[in-house]
Amino acid sequence: MSITETEEHDGASERLRRLRRPVHGRLNAASALSVVSALLWIPQAACAAQILAMLVTREPGFLGVWSAVGLFLAIGITRAAVTSYAEGLAFAAADEAIAEARGALVAAESRKSAVVAGAFSSAEIASLAADKLSAVTPYLTRYAPAMARTRAVPLVLLIVAFSISWAVGLVLLVSGPLIPVFMALVGLAARDASERQMQEIGGMNALLLERIRALADLRLLDATRRAVADFDQAADRLRRQTMEVLRIAFLSSAVLELFSAIGVALVAVYVGFALIGEFSFGAYATPLTVSQGIFLLLLAPDFFQPLRDLAAAWHDKAAALAVAGEIAAVEREYALGIVGDGKPATPLTGPATVDVGALAWRTPSDRTIRFPDFHVGAGSAVAITGQSGSGKTTLLSLLAGLAPAAEGHIGVAGQPLDATSADAWRARLTWIGQMPHFVNASLRANLLLAGPERDDARLERALAGASASGIVQALPRGLDTRIGETGYGVSGGEARRLTVARALYSGADIVLADEPTADLDDETADAVIDGLLAIAARGATLIVATHDMRLARRMDQTIALEATS
Amino acid sequence: MIALLQIARRIWSLEWWSLLRGMALSATVLLAGIGLLGLSGWFITAAGVAGLAGAGILFDVFRPSAGVRFLALGRTAARYGERMLTHDATLRGLARLRVQLLAALARLPAPRQSALRASEQLNRLTLDVDALDGIALRLFIPVVAGTLAIAIAFAALWYLVDPAIVVWLSASFLPGASIALALVLARARRPSRSAQLALNAFRMRLVDLLHARSELAVFGRLAAQREHVHTAEERMRAAMRRNDRIERTGGFVLSLAETIAAAGALVTAVWLTRSGRSDPALAALGFFATLALAETIVPLRRGLSEYGKMADAARRVARMLQTPELPSRASVENPPGQIDTGTVLSLRGIGFRHQGAASPVISGFDLVLRQGEICALTGSSGSGKSTILHIAAGVLIPESGSAELNGLPIGRWDEKELRETVTLLPQRSALLSGTIRDALRLANPDITDADAWEALAAAGLDMVISQRGGLESRLGESGSGLSGGESRRLALARVLLRRPRLLLLDEPTEGLDRATAETVLAGVRRFLPDSAILIASHRQVEQAFANRTVRLRR
Repeated sequence: MSITETEEHDGASERLRRLRRPVHGRLNAASALSVVSALLWIPQAACAAQILAMLVTREPGFLGVWSAVGLFLAIGITRAAVTSYAEGLAFAAADEAIAEARGALVAAESRKSAVVAGAFSSAEIASLAADKLSAVTPYLTRYAPAMARTRAVPLVLLIVAFSISWAVGLVLLVSGPLIPVFMALVGLAARDASERQMQEIGGMNALLLERIRALADLRLLDATRRAVADFDQAADRLRRQTMEVLRIAFLSSAVLELFSAIGVALVAVYVGFALIGEFSFGAYATPLTVSQGIFLLLLAPDFFQPLRDLAAAWHDKAAALAVAGEIAAVEREYALGIVGDGKPATPLTGPATVDVGALAWRTPSDRTIRFPDFHVGAGSAVAITGQSGSGKTTLLSLLAGLAPAAEGHIGVAGQPLDATSADAWRARLTWIGQMPHFVNASLRANLLLAGPERDDARLERALAGASASGIVQALPRGLDTRIGETGYGVSGGEARRLTVARALYSGADIVLADEPTADLDDETADAVIDGLLAIAARGATLIVATHDMRLARRMDQTIALEATS
Repeated sequence: MIALLQIARRIWSLEWWSLLRGMALSATVLLAGIGLLGLSGWFITAAGVAGLAGAGILFDVFRPSAGVRFLALGRTAARYGERMLTHDATLRGLARLRVQLLAALARLPAPRQSALRASEQLNRLTLDVDALDGIALRLFIPVVAGTLAIAIAFAALWYLVDPAIVVWLSASFLPGASIALALVLARARRPSRSAQLALNAFRMRLVDLLHARSELAVFGRLAAQREHVHTAEERMRAAMRRNDRIERTGGFVLSLAETIAAAGALVTAVWLTRSGRSDPALAALGFFATLALAETIVPLRRGLSEYGKMADAARRVARMLQTPELPSRASVENPPGQIDTGTVLSLRGIGFRHQGAASPVISGFDLVLRQGEICALTGSSGSGKSTILHIAAGVLIPESGSAELNGLPIGRWDEKELRETVTLLPQRSALLSGTIRDALRLANPDITDADAWEALAAAGLDMVISQRGGLESRLGESGSGLSGGESRRLALARVLLRRPRLLLLDEPTEGLDRATAETVLAGVRRFLPDSAILIASHRQVEQAFANRTVRLRR
């Protein structure tokens, strides 16, 4: 029986196959067990049919009443146990396969260098790993067994039916193959429906979200009431469209149900007429016995059941393919890894020097940026200047091992910077990024991220040195305030000063700072510059990428990058 | 549970008629299924009896077979009608729920609104509303329809077959099904809630890991944070595994109950026939009806497995919906603008402290702004410039001091008249998807094209908009399609169209080059020649535009 496959796109099918490969055996076993469980209904139905027939004919049957009931019960319990076991097996296998895919995604994404901007935002990756990947579970646990049953169960039941009555076999055969045709239609309609429905609901949510984001503005414009009324209309419009789509899906599945209901009804009517002797055709041992008639009636609904299960699980495959396609797209993306592992390491020994020779970087668009050779002595303060696009941030990232260079070499503390030395080199570094990211934790935990164990006095001094004590005081719970995405927000200038405090606290002897004064008002910028110089005054080596000449002038040395095209 | 009932009551009160009909149809579907199998079984067995007795000619075959066909077709039709009705009602209910939610959020105090704006909470809220679609479809309708169908089926079996079969089913199928459902209900709630919590933790930690990966790599914390992510993932998986085990156990118990009930129905059939209490065909009907009875429980199982998730979502949504109505402001004693037409804004001894903060952001701040005056507020970031603008706009309430607009304390203004008098352009404005005209009409629904173009010109945006295709050109979600500077100027044009007596601008030329900034500022003055303008500023160009500069210090 051929079921139309969902069309392939973007290597999605291939990725989905790869995802299920590690647990392929167990999933197949689960599917096979679900087929066995469905087929166990045949002997169970035979027992029931025999008991009921004995009531009519009052003749002893193949088995006694009590043995038949006992057998019916025993097979029923076995079926329940096999089904439950198969479901458990499939779930465990799916859980494992998804965890593996999720783990691989997290590992790969976290090692990607942030220097090359990715096409997928962190939030998109997170939603893929957290929510969307779970959509593969029903495909593995529901769709695949339903597909296996659809392939095996109707065929076996058809053979059984034909062996008793060709007429019943014919009824099933005629209404059976029509179903795949309708299934294809249902599948197409339902897939289309579910996709469009998702879009509609997504659209409704997008409308709601943008309005909630704009609430403060709407209030200031005295437009809240109008915006709510507008949303009401838009939501209603979307509902009507969604219902139009759902109508098609419901109609198609009604057709499917109709066929199975008519199939069962035809079998019942044929058997009834045959038993009273109205029909004398259709069975080999004329006339059809009561036991055979009841048996056939009991089998008929289960001939259609796998198809109905498959229809119910139909969109699971489309959903799984969509997710697999997205994973494939993320994996295909051009990416460079960081140098080293980002693990704790014993700091490199040797003076805090940096040597750069014949260094070059290749951008994703295949442009090559060549950097001048330079040497930074221990304890000196260096400004890297140049127009935007000249590669200041990139150079700084290369020096921290946050991306591999295309050509040339970097010497750090007298050693080449490579995978074996990068972690140990970074153990001496601190980093002040242009857009600092705080993790969802207390401010204290964020400040302690780089540095030694908790030392409140030292932290106080670091905050004072970065003119950041006032920021902490203004926070609701001081250092214990939760900051980050779900916590309390700090402004750009405040965040910058806090990262300077973090650098001061860490006691690192090499500081890399990327545009530390960009977008700051003069006063804040001065506070940041003073903080940086306080670190340098302690003997640390300071390398600053900047186009702020006030900052550059206060450094010992300037390395100018030329914009290359 | 209470929250779930509250939400269910809301949906019910909006759509009770459709839902009631849906429930009736849903029960019809279940009963038709039971009837179809029962009637077919009875028909075949009775035909067998008649055939063996040689009384086939006398047996009425047409009415039962017509009944079988009728039930088969009726079931399909009822199913279609039920799905259409209940889905439509649910979608309607959810759409209304979203509208109510938006209205409730609009009543939140300003600081909570802005806290909500960027956060993860917001995404969760919309996911929560989506999760609620199952309340009617998969919980209440199946419960009511299933109970109804079982009750009617039992009554029919009692009357048609024998009370014995009903007694047996009440002793086997009902307790089995109840145990299975109670098990899922009682034990799945906690795991599905902890799965949700672990999922949120996982997502948040992963975003942190990816966002801050450069910093984490430099600090040697990449592997540690990955481990942190992994811990949350393991917690999530463990909860989901527990959830699955409970559901599977529930399913197993249910299957057992069905099998035992069916086996018992066979024994009952044998006893009924042998004792002469009923004929074989009716006894068979009891057995076939028992087989079909399982269908009444199946739809409920899925709903119950989502129960934890739905109850959780309902709790959060119900809490949001309970936001109290905005207190109506004290009646306006003096018509605004009549006391002192010269002084627009007067702030005296203003102090303000963020909720829970140890030290105030502002203390003892004074400012008087007269009609037509332009004043620039300067000071380092965090010195409270934006706070003062928000106090002047009546969005934040000062801790101490007095704030008066047109001589009347801001707290005593009527909200609508206050918004007509003062407008604030915040640092970050949100735009909505739609046309440029829609964006501007948000400020004033009655504007003409000439007004719109004049405001756009004042904001230095007329060229950009006419190149994009004029007032009918469309913006994407949250105003995407315009650059950062262009969005900002569109928000400015929107604010200008309010023609306020007091205009508050928070860093209006941020991100604009000097020449554009000058054009825009001149445009603002031209558009509103008589308004008092207060600018929170850290740019020289804005300070040069002002008549005077007030410096804030912490």
